[in-house]
Amino acid sequence: MAHIPDGVVTAPVLVTGAAVSAGLLGMALRRLDFDRLPQAAVLSAAFFVASLITIPLGPSSVHLLLNGLMGLLLGWTALPALFVALVLQAAFFGFGGVLVLGVNTMNMALPALACAALLRPMLPRLAPGALFWIGAAAGALGVLMTAALVALSLGLSGEPFLPAARVVAIIYAPLALVEAFIAGTVVTFLHRVDPELLLQDEASRV
Amino acid sequence: MSERLTKQSRLRRRPASAVLLVALLLAGGPTLAHKLRVFAFADGARIEGSAYFAGGGKAAGTRIVVKDAAGRTVAELTPAADGSFSYMAKAPVDHLIVAESGDGHRAEWKVSAGELASGFAADNEGSHLQIATPADPGTPAPGTGTVTSSRPAPHDAGVDPALEAAVERAVARQIRPLREELIAAQDAYRLQDILGGVGYIFGVAGLALWWRARRFGSRR
Repeated sequence: MAHIPDGVVTAPVLVTGAAVSAGLLGMALRRLDFDRLPQAAVLSAAFFVASLITIPLGPSSVHLLLNGLMGLLLGWTALPALFVALVLQAAFFGFGGVLVLGVNTMNMALPALACAALLRPMLPRLAPGALFWIGAAAGALGVLMTAALVALSLGLSGEPFLPAARVVAIIYAPLALVEAFIAGTVVTFLHRVDPELLLQDEASRV
Repeated sequence: MSERLTKQSRLRRRPASAVLLVALLLAGGPTLAHKLRVFAFADGARIEGSAYFAGGGKAAGTRIVVKDAAGRTVAELTPAADGSFSYMAKAPVDHLIVAESGDGHRAEWKVSAGELASGFAADNEGSHLQIATPADPGTPAPGTGTVTSSRPAPHDAGVDPALEAAVERAVARQIRPLREELIAAQDAYRLQDILGGVGYIFGVAGLALWWRARRFGSRR
């Protein structure tokens, strides 16, 4: 799952994850859009809590990730939001190790940024009916890219890559569908109650 | 400037996201969680245990690896549908039980040599005595009297080692539910943890906004 515990991935993967995450966080903090901070805090809290609702699935158990949705709504500001929530999950619940925080952050943050870069620019231009599908695409893309990155982290750490990737794919494919539906619903809901939330700010553009 | 101000004022009224968060909080409930756990206790020489996701159901599809004190793998087990497994220990040494789900979840549990001792009492009395009473039975008792005061050394009292092993096993069986309950209590995530985490998140956001207000001053 997205919370890799300590002792599973090897040192080169740990160092790479930490370096990538630190770099991305630095960039995100320089471009931080303070007007989005309250919204980022709310989504960060939702991400923090979502990991507590789990469903047993195959040999593992899954929970919503919400990183695609965060990327779509927040842009760069999603990074500090994800990082803070991951730190607190490790501290309060023991989800994911302390040393692998960099790897876990990278696995969640890169898909969020991809959603922000690919899907976010479309938001203001689209008809309300199409918004659901943009949200759904962000939800599915976030989950599937995270799955690929987790499988890659495990594969580079000596876990037999193909079995690990197979397990991860089995687990994440249904989750991607669920998450797509939820993200699409959230985006539609936000558009109805507060369309300004979906506006694109220059500062946080990826 | 005026455009900026309207954007500001609109951004400020934002109950929608808060509604979303509250809904998620209510849907979640305080006790479900997501972490692979494994525990195992010795019943005589047999190690019986269970693998599960804390709060999220049994972990039937995991792989259980049993390692001895030197770190060598002595057995690989597949748990039953309810996540339980058992293994006959070959020697009274420390055993490390590792559970892996194949997608990055991993958990460990240690079964100590002392726990397994009673299972090997009958066929290996010497090692049993060494483990059951830390002192060498040959030495005079004054130093050890305080340690084992509640139970006279079997050597002195002439207690049948088989009987003592049976007692140890019975006690282990009796306290097993207590140990399981203790583990379950550790797994339960409490509401104050969740609220504390959410509070930290808003605190950090508030600090960032405060820092920015100090640095750039108020807009007005």
